[in-house]
Amino acid sequence: MTTLFLFLSFIMASSDMTNQTALQKFIPPSIDCWKASDSSRLYTGEEIFDYMDGAGEIYRSYNFQQLIVQRYACPDQEEILVEIFDMGSARNAFGVYTYMQGRGTRVNIGQDGEYKMGLLCFWKDKYFVCIRIEKENQQASKAVFDLGKVIARAIPTEGKRPDILKHLPVNKYDVKSLRYFYRYEMLNIHFYIADGNILLLNDSTEGVLVRLKDDKSYFLLDGYPDKEQTDSAYDSFLTHYMPDSKGEGIVKTENKKWTACVKEKNYILIIFDAPTKEQAMISLDTFKRRLP
Amino acid sequence: MTHIITRRDFLRKTGAAALIATAGVPLFANQALEKKSKVILIRHRNIVDKNGKVDQKIFEQMLDEAMVKLFETKTPEAAWKQIIKPTDIVGIKSNMWEYLPTPAEVENTLKSRLRAAGVQEANISIDDQGVLRNPIFLKATALINARPMRAHHWAGVSGCLKNYIMFTPEPSDLHPDSCVDLGSLYKLPIVKGKTRLNVLLMLTPQFNCLGPHHFDKEFVWQYKGLLVGTDPVALDAVGLKIIEAKRRQYFKEDLPIRPAPKHIAAAEQKHGVGVADMNKIELIKLGWKDGVLI
Repeated sequence: MTTLFLFLSFIMASSDMTNQTALQKFIPPSIDCWKASDSSRLYTGEEIFDYMDGAGEIYRSYNFQQLIVQRYACPDQEEILVEIFDMGSARNAFGVYTYMQGRGTRVNIGQDGEYKMGLLCFWKDKYFVCIRIEKENQQASKAVFDLGKVIARAIPTEGKRPDILKHLPVNKYDVKSLRYFYRYEMLNIHFYIADGNILLLNDSTEGVLVRLKDDKSYFLLDGYPDKEQTDSAYDSFLTHYMPDSKGEGIVKTENKKWTACVKEKNYILIIFDAPTKEQAMISLDTFKRRLP
Repeated sequence: MTHIITRRDFLRKTGAAALIATAGVPLFANQALEKKSKVILIRHRNIVDKNGKVDQKIFEQMLDEAMVKLFETKTPEAAWKQIIKPTDIVGIKSNMWEYLPTPAEVENTLKSRLRAAGVQEANISIDDQGVLRNPIFLKATALINARPMRAHHWAGVSGCLKNYIMFTPEPSDLHPDSCVDLGSLYKLPIVKGKTRLNVLLMLTPQFNCLGPHHFDKEFVWQYKGLLVGTDPVALDAVGLKIIEAKRRQYFKEDLPIRPAPKHIAAAEQKHGVGVADMNKIELIKLGWKDGVLI
């Protein structure tokens, strides 16, 4: 028994070490005058809460696997904090990235790099990366960018963007407002719809939410694996969200704005908070024509 | 599928602005014949200097004035005597978040008022993360809750309700669904019925955050106020309104707090530990009026 326990302990420790090494290889020992100030820390599963309290829930909802944290110090300078999240798949990394995006300006680092006030975020392959300093200064900001470039280069492959994005006309919506999800709990974090899964979202579906430039309404596009699931989700949404539309799929809601819903092939398209009925229909039609 | 509460239910009940505060929570509790929760908002132009340092004398004056108004007494001493006995063992639950902690001036003032009410020095303790190991908190007969309000990456906002998360040995149990069940903390045996006063500091609140543990001076403003009351839910509800108003002013549009701070309404509707509905809150505003936002 003792031998078996030691063997299992060895296997588990080796596995942890392997995982740490896998993420560790993306992290350089130094950048400019900044040097790794202590050993990196690896967080797996529920351990993420030890690091970031309740904020870890967003990562968990996108199937978070592991996080490595490395701090860098340079005399008389800001501490640099690097976080690399292994999200298990590119779609999860992209989904988490969309939760964070929209707060800064785009930079050419990793995939969709974004920087604001000392915080650089990007995704690449199955990884989501954050690098931050608390107070910006020229030298520290440059080091953040340099670190970002080194880490992005160390991740060898790019992640595939979700196919559903191809159906969005880029000029119609605020790119920074885009949120990607595939479960209703994720959607509710971005835009609260209902306390139940009325759009019947699951791991085999996917969705994208954007805010339109013209009228500031919200557009939701959900893709389903087949027509049967699409029909069920459409009926469910109409039943629970707009029973007063009497099956027409358009209704003036309590905030004096319009919500409209249509289904097309294996997709459900919904506009929330359009200023007029006509505008809601025009927006839906615009997006519908983009579908394959 | 059981009865579903949708976004429209919130719009119907409370209007668009309140949607964010109430997302995901049943809204249909009986409102009739309920006494309003009283919340004092007091502000002073000089309570903090340009670096955010608190003027202790002014803070003392503000707290005293708020206490008199809150408990409708002639003196602050009489107000404290309504909530604290000399034999009480009192824990002051503060907050040590490095960027926006409960200031020492606030902790000192609360402690001095407790001492003036007759509580022995040895029976008062100030703590945050160590409350479950702190002998005073473990045998406390009374609690004072004092912390700054700020935007929070996961709960939406962090105020009086979230400040008690260290009273549970497993804080992560309260993380699901954007910490919706924070109100349940007030029913823990170590807490239940013990909170005599809540002071939600709106001196330099943070109205936006970019990620976990994020702090940036760009998203902090000198509101120079305190919210004082006995109902932690009502204080958080009023604090949220001020945060939302500041966000509208700053972003020049109704940019919802993400995630929706639904734990505030849930504390009323699901856990029954206070009042979140602004229609059931009596807000009394004292002091400096410029930029009051509510």
